[in-house]
Amino acid sequence: MTTGTAAAVRLDHVRRQYGETVALDGVSLEIRAGEAVAVMGPSGSGKSTLLNLIAGLDRPSAGRVTVQGDDLTGLDETGLALFRRRHIGMIFQFFNLLDDLSALDNVALAAQLTGTPAAQARRRALDLLDELGIGDRARTYPAVLSGGERQRVAVARALMNRPAVLLADEPTGALDSHSGEQVMDLLLDLHQIGQTLLLVTHDVRLAERCAGRVIELADGRVTAERTLEGHP
Amino acid sequence: MSAVWSVALAAVRRRRLQSAILALVVLCSTVAIVVALGLLEASSWPFDRTFAEQRGAHVVATFDRATVPDALLTRTAGRPGVEAAAGPFGQKALTVADTRQSLPPGPLTVVGRPGPGGPVDRVDLWTGRWAARPGEIVVNRPVEPLFSDLVGATVRTREGMTFTIVGLASSVSRTAEAWVTPAQMRTMNPTATQMLYRFTEAGDLRAATASVTAGLSPSGVQSYLTVKQDVSRTASAYLPFLVGFGLLGLLVAVLIVANVVGGAVVAGQRHIGVLKSLGFTPDQVMAVYLVMVLLPGSAGCLVGTGLGALISQPLLHRVFAGTGAAIGLGVGWWAYLTALVGVPAVVVLAALVPASRAHRLSAAESIRAGGGRRSGRGQAIQHLLSGTPLPRSVSLGLGLPFARPGRSALTLAAIVLGVAATTLATGLFRTMTAYGDTAQRVGHVHSVVHVGRPDQIRPKLGDAAIEALLRAQPGVRHVTADAWIDVRLLGHTSRIKAQFLRGDAATRGDVVVAGRYISGPGEVAAPSAFLRRFGLRVGDRLTLALGDARTQATIVGEVMDAANDLVIASWPTLTALDPGRSATQYEVRLAPDADVETFHAAVKAAEPGLYPRTKSQVDQNSVAVIGAASFFTLILGVVASLGVFNTVVLNTRERRRDLAMLKSIGMTPRQVTLMTVTSMAALGVLGGLVGVPVGIASHRVVVLAMMEAAGLSAPAILLDVWHVAALAALVVAGVAIAVLGAFLPARSAAALTIAEALRTE
Repeated sequence: MTTGTAAAVRLDHVRRQYGETVALDGVSLEIRAGEAVAVMGPSGSGKSTLLNLIAGLDRPSAGRVTVQGDDLTGLDETGLALFRRRHIGMIFQFFNLLDDLSALDNVALAAQLTGTPAAQARRRALDLLDELGIGDRARTYPAVLSGGERQRVAVARALMNRPAVLLADEPTGALDSHSGEQVMDLLLDLHQIGQTLLLVTHDVRLAERCAGRVIELADGRVTAERTLEGHP
Repeated sequence: MSAVWSVALAAVRRRRLQSAILALVVLCSTVAIVVALGLLEASSWPFDRTFAEQRGAHVVATFDRATVPDALLTRTAGRPGVEAAAGPFGQKALTVADTRQSLPPGPLTVVGRPGPGGPVDRVDLWTGRWAARPGEIVVNRPVEPLFSDLVGATVRTREGMTFTIVGLASSVSRTAEAWVTPAQMRTMNPTATQMLYRFTEAGDLRAATASVTAGLSPSGVQSYLTVKQDVSRTASAYLPFLVGFGLLGLLVAVLIVANVVGGAVVAGQRHIGVLKSLGFTPDQVMAVYLVMVLLPGSAGCLVGTGLGALISQPLLHRVFAGTGAAIGLGVGWWAYLTALVGVPAVVVLAALVPASRAHRLSAAESIRAGGGRRSGRGQAIQHLLSGTPLPRSVSLGLGLPFARPGRSALTLAAIVLGVAATTLATGLFRTMTAYGDTAQRVGHVHSVVHVGRPDQIRPKLGDAAIEALLRAQPGVRHVTADAWIDVRLLGHTSRIKAQFLRGDAATRGDVVVAGRYISGPGEVAAPSAFLRRFGLRVGDRLTLALGDARTQATIVGEVMDAANDLVIASWPTLTALDPGRSATQYEVRLAPDADVETFHAAVKAAEPGLYPRTKSQVDQNSVAVIGAASFFTLILGVVASLGVFNTVVLNTRERRRDLAMLKSIGMTPRQVTLMTVTSMAALGVLGGLVGVPVGIASHRVVVLAMMEAAGLSAPAILLDVWHVAALAALVVAGVAIAVLGAFLPARSAAALTIAEALRTE
């Protein structure tokens, strides 16, 4: 376990059980602000459960999850939703874009839910899409975007509310190698400008390229933790 | 167990909610269908049912007793073409004396019969008993509790005879106005003999009658068709209303069942793909889906048919109580059969359309199609809404119906019909309330004071003194003296009733639809049905006859009343016919702050021979229509809400991943609920805006048809029943149907576990 003064994420003896199955068993860890951490492990090791608990998408059976100083244990569903708006950006393996909305509106949606006026949200969404190199695809609908483009839109949506922590669940898992490379570059760029990043991945290359620290999970426990050279 | 059967059973178990909704919708729809069919049947053929029940007489023939001996008539029963015959019965026309007694004064056709049964005209002896000895009489009256008071009353005739009423019976064939024992009849020296015939073939009654009575020269022949026409007039007034609601019920039921079943099949396309990949043939897959929807559908249909049977019986009696056609009411087997066969057929047809699409798809396509709704629909609208200043959860909700236009259209249609039904029911409620208020003279007459009959305490005061006494009571505003007398309309054979009015007749609340109200001697006002029956119009003159006296009168107005045998005339018109007549009742209007019971007590104290009664504020026909309309509105509203419920369940299941994503980026449970409810509320507003005009138009069509059937001219008070506030409230009814249906699944969507939903990719 790594300790530090500016912890963006902290888990204390977190356990998550589904019926008889123990997905996480007494996990404690800490992620500092601005750090990029990769969580690796075989299928069923508890990676996604860990991510979901940090995002407030799921609740621990025991233990405590604290993000940006907020103890998620005591928050109700509305409190968790507001927490996610303020602090969390999420990138999914299968993008999870709304098919009925253009790329621009998918990105703007995150800000509009917080009450940001449509015009202002669209302006920022367009800026983000431009920064990610797909501004020319802003009016396009997800169905006609490539996998890499869709994931860039998803990244832009995750960044829309300037989250303190960016969580990515197998972000290159559904992409071809070329698109995967582009997304890796994007995540690296984000980390380099100080974005706190937690990656869940099977992809060793992605972890080594984007993360400064790798946490390995097996059977719901942290089995190893290592710092990678050349990263902050 | 075959693979198809076991897979279908498993599918029903797995889709418990979907199956339960389908069963519930089919159940409610079946109840509506059974009740609608039952009401339609009852209102279409009330006479025929009662006629069959009573083995009514196709022909009532009367013969001159002096020239046709009974022995000859008895032999006619065996003539070819006669299925059954009853008689010969002695018949005598008596005249009820005007002694302020139980029966109205005037002619009374009496027949001597040993009992109510027999091979023809089995009359319904609904209270009391049959006449067993001389001096006893049974009177023909429809099954109405208010007539029960007649049992025990005395009837005196001008011929000097006195009878005690021992029973009341109803004969749909109208073979007599009263019955006595054959022995009593023999003592009355009957002048005519009655024979009642049922024919094996009733197609050509004239020929059949001529054949049976050949050589006997009947002095009178009454066909059942004439009676049927008159009896059916009242009941057929219900027909347009019932047809309106029946059609609405059927349409809503079919739409919702199609929506629910179609949705179940579409939602199961992925499953279809999996089955095909396992080696199920397209036909087997179709069979799985048909069984899957037929199981809950049939269960709902069976229970719905049973419930419909339970509900329809009391409803039918309630609706038809007071119409005189409530004998032998019941839902025919064909209505149950139609529901039991027709509803599952609709379920199968509704399933066939989407299932046949799945039938054509390859396994891979089915699996792909099962991944969710087709993308690319309603994108332009979503883009437009995204730029509006509306809260994002609201604008997202407004765009949702466009993602599934077919399903939304079916849901919208159900809401439109639900709102139209509510509007129609509201309009009918107001119309029937206005009609009932007019019929019962609500606000115009508060008390009716009857003069004591011979078997009651007789008043010491005379007619004029009674009127003066009533006028002198505290709180009395207006008094109208009435005399109901049977008179003849010269030039016509049938008798009519005349209501002669004295005093403040203009304050009784009669609604004049043409011409003006009576104001002086020699003037009458008549209901539309009366004018139509006798081919008269306002301005025509008619001659009224009572005994040997005659007087001419001018029809100065057409009034709103369903009676086709009534005229309202001024008192001097009666005086011209019979100067000695007295009023039989007095209609009293009190001041707004006066108490009816206090008035009644004062009247009884002043004159024990007077019997005051509070004027009923309830019109039975109006209550029946309002009751049936309320039932249909309730059930159609529930079915429409269930349709919305099903649509939202399907939509939220299909959009499970989208909902989870929205929650993952910070949409609160309240916003999820708002978005989901808004998606249906939008349809509700649209449904309200379309449904209200449809309902108003239906109301106009139904009311005009009802009035036409009842022989009434429809005055503005029955048609112009709409107010802006009420119409706005009716538009809200659409929103209410939508919100009620959407709320629970919306809450369920709000409680969706995000991690779980996102894992299902």
